[in-house]
Amino acid sequence: MSSTHKLQHYHTKKNAVMEEDDDRSFATETLDEALKKKKHDDMLERFSARHTARKSDSPDSSSTFESTSSFLSRFADSKRSIESRIAELRLAADSSKIKSDLAEISSSINDLESLVAASSYFLPSYEVRSSLKSASDLKQSLESLSSELLPKKKFSFKTKSSPSTTAKIEKRDLVSPQNVTVFVRDSPGFRNKHEETLTKTFKSSSPSIGEFTLSDLDTCQVKLIGTVNALFINGLRNCKVYTGPVIGSILLDDVEDCVFVMASHQIRIHRAKKCDFYLRVRSRPIIEDSKGVRFGPFCLDYGGIEEDLKMAGLEEESESWADVDDFLWLRAVQSPNWSVLPEEERIASVSISSDGDS
Amino acid sequence: MGLLSIIRKIKKKEKEMRILMVGLDNSGKTTIVLKMNGEDTSVISPTLGFNIKTIIYQKYTLNIWDVGGQKTIRSYWRNYFEQTDGLVWVVDSSDLRRLDDCKLELDNLLKEERLAGSSLLILANKQDIQGALTPEEIGKVLNLESMDKSRHWRIVGCSAYTGEGLLEGFDWLVQDIASRIYMLD
Repeated sequence: MSSTHKLQHYHTKKNAVMEEDDDRSFATETLDEALKKKKHDDMLERFSARHTARKSDSPDSSSTFESTSSFLSRFADSKRSIESRIAELRLAADSSKIKSDLAEISSSINDLESLVAASSYFLPSYEVRSSLKSASDLKQSLESLSSELLPKKKFSFKTKSSPSTTAKIEKRDLVSPQNVTVFVRDSPGFRNKHEETLTKTFKSSSPSIGEFTLSDLDTCQVKLIGTVNALFINGLRNCKVYTGPVIGSILLDDVEDCVFVMASHQIRIHRAKKCDFYLRVRSRPIIEDSKGVRFGPFCLDYGGIEEDLKMAGLEEESESWADVDDFLWLRAVQSPNWSVLPEEERIASVSISSDGDS
Repeated sequence: MGLLSIIRKIKKKEKEMRILMVGLDNSGKTTIVLKMNGEDTSVISPTLGFNIKTIIYQKYTLNIWDVGGQKTIRSYWRNYFEQTDGLVWVVDSSDLRRLDDCKLELDNLLKEERLAGSSLLILANKQDIQGALTPEEIGKVLNLESMDKSRHWRIVGCSAYTGEGLLEGFDWLVQDIASRIYMLD
């Protein structure tokens, strides 16, 4: 402040010799500066006031961590009470009070949401998201409850569309037997076997190369010699599967405790648990919903496999077997769902022959 | 109406079509697009995300969006619906076990309002594989005849491996879109 005074003094002194125009401009300048400073101070004051107001608002103001935990406990408490009220209402179907009860619960869910909103400025974003999620879950269960308890409302709302939907369902039912006739033509394959050794040879000279299916096998050993276009595998438990090259792709679903030695252009692995794959593959293998799967290089031999691999365009080892994409793990770090088989745990090269073709 | 005519004019100038390719995983979407574009199809990894290809086809520019079909990423298909002129649904005709899945996903897709105006081409792929269902059989399983009457659709058998049927399918699709958007000049 004192410096401004001095400045003003200096100006007034100077004013005597200055022209009027100049004098006015100097005066406004100093006034502006003073105003600015005042505004700035005001702003700081308002900020600090707001901050202390916020701090005193939250029940525990000592640190953000503690306010987070107190929020969480408060949130959990009211969430629990809402849930129990929903459960109670479901049991005690006292029709006269249902509407008011529903409205009450709905308003307490709204309160819960506004609590989240009010606390959102100090909560970690994860907590905000998860609490909003549970609030919307509560809303949904309330909605389903109200549609259960107040069917009348729903009915009147849907009267127009309901006949058409039932008609549709009937139509679908009529169509499904037709589907069954289509399904009669099943693809060739091994199905529903238990403790067996299953061998099949595909002659590459014959034009009947097609698809092959392995489905619902338990404790079996499967040997496929020769090439096929496509291989479908599903529902295998505790099996060992050795296959010659697949020209197209392999699709696996729902396999557990199995060992696969396979060569293919593409391979997709869904819902595999505790399985070892020894692969030669031209593109990146992918896994989805899988756990504990391990990968190693292809190690199969039978008479004429070299020609078959060549025919399928799989004669070269591209090392792609180790480039696995996990569709449920889109981060830069290694997925916990798969690993490369340690060399000392890999099986030795497997040699198969067509003895006992089935 | 004013906005619509402006959009029509812009589209007419550019002669662009936006085509969305979807279908279950392993149906051959990426292979089809690469084959159409005359690229090598021997090394294709399952699509994690999506690919965009711009192909000049006849006098039109096709922007083809090839979106991955794995179960975990199907929920993202909706992000690509906007302004789709043509929808290509690819079916693996040799995958008999998942035809129900295929029907379910297609039905869900066709409920989508943003796709209501788009032409639908169903490609019954992998016809080269012995034992694959014919396009007629696929059409029956998918119950295509019961589709909304306002939808322009067609099913074509094809093989992305040999390239057979692809041009036939896309010829129809492009003509159908052109007749809707450009009123054929």
